[in-house]
Amino acid sequence: MAEPTSTPSRAVTARLRGVHKSYGPVRVLDLPELDLHGGQVIGVVGENGAGKSTLMGTLAGSVHRDGGDIEIDGVPLPPGSTEAAQRLGVALVSQEFPLVGQLSVAENLLLGRRPRVTRGRFLVDRSALKAEAEAMLADIGLSAKAIGGVHREVRSLPVPTRQMIEIAKAWGREPKLLILDEPTSALGPVEAAMVFGLARQVADRGGTVLFIGHRLDEVREISDRILVLRNGRLVADLTPEEATEARLIREMVGGEISHLAPPPVADPDAAPYLSLRGLTAAGLGPLDLDVHAGEIVGVAGLMGSGRSRLIHTVAGAQPATGGTMTLAGQPYRPHGPADGTAAGISLIPEDRKEQSLVLFAPIAANVTVAILRRISSRGLLSPGRQRAEGRKIAEGVRVRMQSVDQPVGSLSGGNQQRVVFGRAFATKPRLLLLDEPTRGVDVGAKAEIYELIDGAAAEGMAVLVASSELEELQLICHRIAVLRRGRVTAVLSGDEATKERIMTAAAGTTTESPVTVPNGAGQ
Amino acid sequence: MSAQSTLPPPTAAPDTRPRTGSRLLRRLAESPEAGVVIACVVVFAAIAANASTYASVGNLQVMGRDLAQVGILAIGESLVILTGGIDLSVGALAGLAGILAAWFNVNAGLPAPVAILFTLAVCAVVGIWHGTMVTKLNVPPFVITLVTFTTAQGLALAITGGTPINGIDPLFSNLSSFYIQRIPVPAIFFFGVALIAWFALERTYIGRQVYAVGGNKEAARLAGIPVARRITTTYVASALLAGVVGILVIGRMNVADPSVGGSGWELIAIAAAVVGGMSLFGGEGRIIGVAAGAILLEFIANGLLALHVSPYYQQVVQGVVLGVAILLDRLRASYFGRSRR
Repeated sequence: MAEPTSTPSRAVTARLRGVHKSYGPVRVLDLPELDLHGGQVIGVVGENGAGKSTLMGTLAGSVHRDGGDIEIDGVPLPPGSTEAAQRLGVALVSQEFPLVGQLSVAENLLLGRRPRVTRGRFLVDRSALKAEAEAMLADIGLSAKAIGGVHREVRSLPVPTRQMIEIAKAWGREPKLLILDEPTSALGPVEAAMVFGLARQVADRGGTVLFIGHRLDEVREISDRILVLRNGRLVADLTPEEATEARLIREMVGGEISHLAPPPVADPDAAPYLSLRGLTAAGLGPLDLDVHAGEIVGVAGLMGSGRSRLIHTVAGAQPATGGTMTLAGQPYRPHGPADGTAAGISLIPEDRKEQSLVLFAPIAANVTVAILRRISSRGLLSPGRQRAEGRKIAEGVRVRMQSVDQPVGSLSGGNQQRVVFGRAFATKPRLLLLDEPTRGVDVGAKAEIYELIDGAAAEGMAVLVASSELEELQLICHRIAVLRRGRVTAVLSGDEATKERIMTAAAGTTTESPVTVPNGAGQ
Repeated sequence: MSAQSTLPPPTAAPDTRPRTGSRLLRRLAESPEAGVVIACVVVFAAIAANASTYASVGNLQVMGRDLAQVGILAIGESLVILTGGIDLSVGALAGLAGILAAWFNVNAGLPAPVAILFTLAVCAVVGIWHGTMVTKLNVPPFVITLVTFTTAQGLALAITGGTPINGIDPLFSNLSSFYIQRIPVPAIFFFGVALIAWFALERTYIGRQVYAVGGNKEAARLAGIPVARRITTTYVASALLAGVVGILVIGRMNVADPSVGGSGWELIAIAAAVVGGMSLFGGEGRIIGVAAGAILLEFIANGLLALHVSPYYQQVVQGVVLGVAILLDRLRASYFGRSRR
């Protein structure tokens, strides 16, 4: 698959010299020298926070670099200008599909530019727009009819289709440097193969593809050269032959993750603490699932399979439409998240900045927000008491801070996540629900968060954790439930839970009658 | 086939196509503008049946002139709303523009066309100021335009010392009181502005990019659309249109009255935009709807006078109309599953 790297066409597409970027005191990208050659697919791997996104953003102009020079095909690229980057032939396909939902597919495909063959400079040429949009879809092997016409509003399309439109959008710019940021995470195998083919085409006609991937096997399959980033630095520059999975992981982590398997559940035969029977909700179920006290159950599945929805339904944040839930033998019918917390459930949502923390408020205020009633006397809250409780909670989860009066936003990602855990533990929950507990947290902090989760289970909490990272679930969970289109397709425990078996259950490659439950758009 | 198909959900399959007639009906019901247009017709017919003078040429001409005020403001306002912003200053700025034009003309002794040009230039600068503050310093549009609202009102009073400016050039009143085929010139201004705005938004790249900016600012930025420039443009357009309205108003009254800026026109303009289907979150709504919204509000306001409704109740009725319009819009949106957030 990978061609030898010593092809004669070694023209440099992108030349980076001394490029660096810091956020506050943290230097997130620091590349003294890096050349990206034409005719190659270059894989970029690294842990979360290793600087992959910053590197891409710097090249695409969406991140304003602090210093250093970038040349695209010999032309200097000014910092922080997406327009300039596009003019020079850089196209970025990012994970978050920056599409405008209210506009049509055609308008999104040609967002920010005009059709190539058009009558006017200022006036929209609708027939040219339609023709070129259809041609762009056809170029990547997608027929306009299959998605219901190019005049459809983008927001009415499912997530994988939006991802393909995003790819067609970048493809239509005929880029010299095509940056793919985890393009396959939302796609099934067929579409993923299509994307690989496209990447190869760009390389074959002399362009460069920067392929950012989370799945190492994918990256190794497609790349002619693999770069490993760690803490914003380039730590390895490998040929596909050198880049074995073990080597990549070693370079990415820079040390071993020290985490032992979770201690066994105290009493696996006892009645389950949380029990779901025939549970349905929008885009979910019907499904059955049990979680015992002291047990950590993982929820795996592809994007849009209902991981978050399951967590949210149990928490009461999304209404259940059918089936039963029981908590410690008692029927549980939440009408809102307040019922969930009243029943001893604590939810740690996916996005800590949007859904968990008040970033500019002090740590003490953040960790005590769920227990204000308990720590006030006769409805009055004394600031001293709040600070003292806050300090106790923050120290309990080992938040590294100068004082509890410091705003949460000034902490690092891992520390912020510890604050969120502290707040959850402070309510003394019986059931802990976690959605992507280590998103945007560096490797070292990950291990500590795993210990917090272990500790919670050891104290007898039932834990339900949804994550897109299989390694994480394999590491911390007693059992893993795999979701596909809102249903549980497998529950794997211990050694059964190999990556392969999880992925097979998640992708549903085995023949199965088509499911009528609407796929939903992932919200 | 893969776990996640690129095909849209089956509900969208085109093979369950009903007859063309019911499809058209559904299209109409799905488009937010249709409701407003129908409401215009119904309201007009209902009031005309109950008040004999309502549909007379004289009254229609009055409504046409009123439209030039609130309607043009509403169109400027809706441009800003499309980007997800809001412009509270339009009413006060219109008032100030009238005073400025009169002051340039009478006190500074400039010829009327030059006075008008100067006034519009001042308005453009105000628009650039709004746009710059919103895009460069991230000042919430509500706040920065509120500042202008207060300042403009105060300035209008300060310049004149509270007394109207008399003796303005006849050109001003000519602008406002001429008729072309019995249609008052200001009404033609309104339809002209609406047409230009519609064309710019629907048929030019800049217009479509304004929608993109309002719909998803990050997507627009990543696509290389000059977001800050597009946003600033809408504020400038809004301020310029406010200036036009101010100039038309002093012509109509033949005197520059500093109290004009305080009559709450910005709220009526926002109401017209919302009734016409503009989403306050940005990126959604069309000029046709806004124009119809402005016409509807004018029909109602004038109709209440024609029906001799007590002035106290007139405001109540206008509020209720706005409430019903918003309610219907939300119901329609949720019925057709087009969540607007």
